[in-house]
Amino acid sequence: MNLPNYFLADLPPEATLSAGMITEACQTLKRNRAQYLRARTTRSLVELIAHVAENWRETENPFRRHALDAGPAATGFSRETLARGLDGFFAQFTVENLNALLAQELGHAQRLDTFAATGADERANRSALANGPELLAHIAAGNVPNPALTSLVLGLLLRSAQFVKCARGASFLPRLFAHSLYEADAKIGACLEIAEWRGGHHELEDALFAEADCVTATGGDETLAHIRSRVPPRARFVGYGHRLSFGFIAREALSGFGAKKIVTRAADDVVAWDQLGCLSPHVFYVEGGGATTAEQFAELLAQELDRREAHAPRGKISIEEAAAIASRRAIYEVRAAHLPDTRHWASEGSTAWTVVYEADPMFQPSCLNRFIYVKAADSLAAALRAAELVRGKVSTVGLAAPDERAEALALELARWGVTRICPVGKMQHPPLTWRHDGRPALGDLVTWTDWEK
Amino acid sequence: MHTNHQLANFSARLREEIRRADEGWAFPFEELAIELHQLQRAHNPAYRRFCEARASRGELTADWREIPAVPSAAFRELELTSLAPAERTAVFHSSGTTAQPRSRHFHSVESIFTYECSLVPWFRRHVLPEWGERAEFMDFLALTPAPAGAPGSSLVHMFATVQREFGEREQVFVGKISTDGAWSVDVATALEVMSRAVAAQRLLVLLGTAFSFVHLLDSLEEMKTRLVLPPGSRVLETGGYKGRSRELPKAELHALITDRVAVPASHIVCEYGMSELSSQAYDRVCGETQNPKPETRNFLFPPWCRAVVLSPETGREVADGETGLLRLFDLANVWSVLAIQTEDLAIRRGDGFELLGRATHAEARGCSLMAH
Repeated sequence: MNLPNYFLADLPPEATLSAGMITEACQTLKRNRAQYLRARTTRSLVELIAHVAENWRETENPFRRHALDAGPAATGFSRETLARGLDGFFAQFTVENLNALLAQELGHAQRLDTFAATGADERANRSALANGPELLAHIAAGNVPNPALTSLVLGLLLRSAQFVKCARGASFLPRLFAHSLYEADAKIGACLEIAEWRGGHHELEDALFAEADCVTATGGDETLAHIRSRVPPRARFVGYGHRLSFGFIAREALSGFGAKKIVTRAADDVVAWDQLGCLSPHVFYVEGGGATTAEQFAELLAQELDRREAHAPRGKISIEEAAAIASRRAIYEVRAAHLPDTRHWASEGSTAWTVVYEADPMFQPSCLNRFIYVKAADSLAAALRAAELVRGKVSTVGLAAPDERAEALALELARWGVTRICPVGKMQHPPLTWRHDGRPALGDLVTWTDWEK
Repeated sequence: MHTNHQLANFSARLREEIRRADEGWAFPFEELAIELHQLQRAHNPAYRRFCEARASRGELTADWREIPAVPSAAFRELELTSLAPAERTAVFHSSGTTAQPRSRHFHSVESIFTYECSLVPWFRRHVLPEWGERAEFMDFLALTPAPAGAPGSSLVHMFATVQREFGEREQVFVGKISTDGAWSVDVATALEVMSRAVAAQRLLVLLGTAFSFVHLLDSLEEMKTRLVLPPGSRVLETGGYKGRSRELPKAELHALITDRVAVPASHIVCEYGMSELSSQAYDRVCGETQNPKPETRNFLFPPWCRAVVLSPETGREVADGETGLLRLFDLANVWSVLAIQTEDLAIRRGDGFELLGRATHAEARGCSLMAH
């Protein structure tokens, strides 16, 4: 597939970007926005997004096909991982879901078009309108593609011109998605820019920040602090720090057929995006006292991961990542030989998957790429005590529990600081209405105008 | 004791073979490796259990490459030794961070002796190749603390051993230890020793870690001091930084050494070793003018220690020129474990390797919060 030269990321790799190019691109984006995007109705944008997303799920769609054909080399994910990840992702973008998002975030789906009032507003004789930023700059992280794609969609709903700065080697999918929007509506496409450079290039980033009135960034704490310090005070900064996630499986969930189902779902969470996202589990805690022990669960999960490797293989990884897995496996082999409460299972002749079982509940960050810990915990409270070290850094907890206990467990997790609780198997598939890191999805980006009549 | 008797016999034979190898005889590596492996399985309980847990490959192997290798990190958790507690006269620790338990490599009087017999000839061949042919002695300056202050450092022990073996004067160590255990260099004393060498025109051998050299050279820069050490003076540089000074690429560090103390690249030898081993690798013979660039030089172990580079993905040996994890088979590790799996990435180059460094320091691609 030959993509036209619309974006900076389309330039040949040897082309070097300059601050002047960034400034010019930003000013063009803002002009195009004023001309083409600002006056668009929410309804037309919702329909456009839903249409493009639906196309991405058609097997013959050229963008999808290119993503699956060229994606493994460009992204490091296998074709199957990409297909599953992209299909699950784009399935979210229906007209209904987009309207639900607007209603949730803004109280009323028309509030970006005009002054609108909720029932309470009407009684108080007031209404409100939300304005999106003129130029929204995104500093995207490189591990998985969906956050950058989601950001693009949210910005589009807000009628913002957008500049997406991708991490080195991570522009492939955002670029393809932007091209698919361009093809569907060239005027909208002209309000988007995709570029790629190694983070921390001050000259380019300062040029970008000088033009943007809102900057979102995803990355480690240090990276975020650094970016925040360089964003001018008049621009809004919205940072999403690195998070990690884990699963908790209540004892009742593992009886009879239940166990097999939960194992399958747990494997879904481990293999999705090769476990590289903030929402991917590092550890599954298995509550003691059920029909299946944590150790048995680990063994079943290992068998399931082995099956998955046959039809949805893990992507190719760097020698450093493979070495990290090999070194970590080696130490668990030693421990397993000496300790009765440690076991490990690993793919033969490759680093494709690894399961480590430890009776010790102490939370262990995984080296990822389908390396998962299964740990025993007497209760959720015990698991949370063992995860104290990562408290405040946990995004998602995948929960498998019977209805009668689920609410109490969810409450316990929420009080502890978890920002998202979902069923095991859905960890990497948050809905469109998900509040990223507990923050509003659109609410953090808009500026309100209140009208008291 | 039975244990000691068999391993002691092996030690004696190994030392004899090392002596013969130093004279140019072939070293019977395969035969000794298999024999030592069998002894270690018999007499090293922690290692035996590790081997037995590898059920499918549990039988005694006839191929030295199949000898089960323990990860170097296992020295942090297990007592990987054939020495009874009463026999352990020394223990070498890894210089790792305080957050993690440190490696423990136990030694006895006899195992230290074997360690030194392994160390001396290979050091001489690379750092003092003209030894014996020349009349003048050399002076040494070690930038590490002295053995009394750092009894757990195999590196310090090595520097003491070579000074005892090849120096004629009092041993010189100018490293200091701060209250938090970090090492630094007593720059004033180092400068005094170097100035004396310049005044007397005596060759000086500087021994230190990369970070100790950075510390010394930065201080010389601050003092606006440059020295011209007598021609033939040399540097032995080893190890990483571990956050103890600013980090420099090797080529830059070496250029800095040449600039500040006038030791040319041909006289800067890099050493690779670790507390879990009893042999060391060097990347050049001092004075050789080929391959002056440090990044294209290969490390070589002595004939009694073999390096194998394995694909971390498949566990199989990589082809020449490819990258993988370094595994070492060190026969001088008589009383611990001869086969050690390191976490270092290296490129296989002939019988040697080009060192790339710690795999776990690599940048993670995933959404991971903390380094291992």
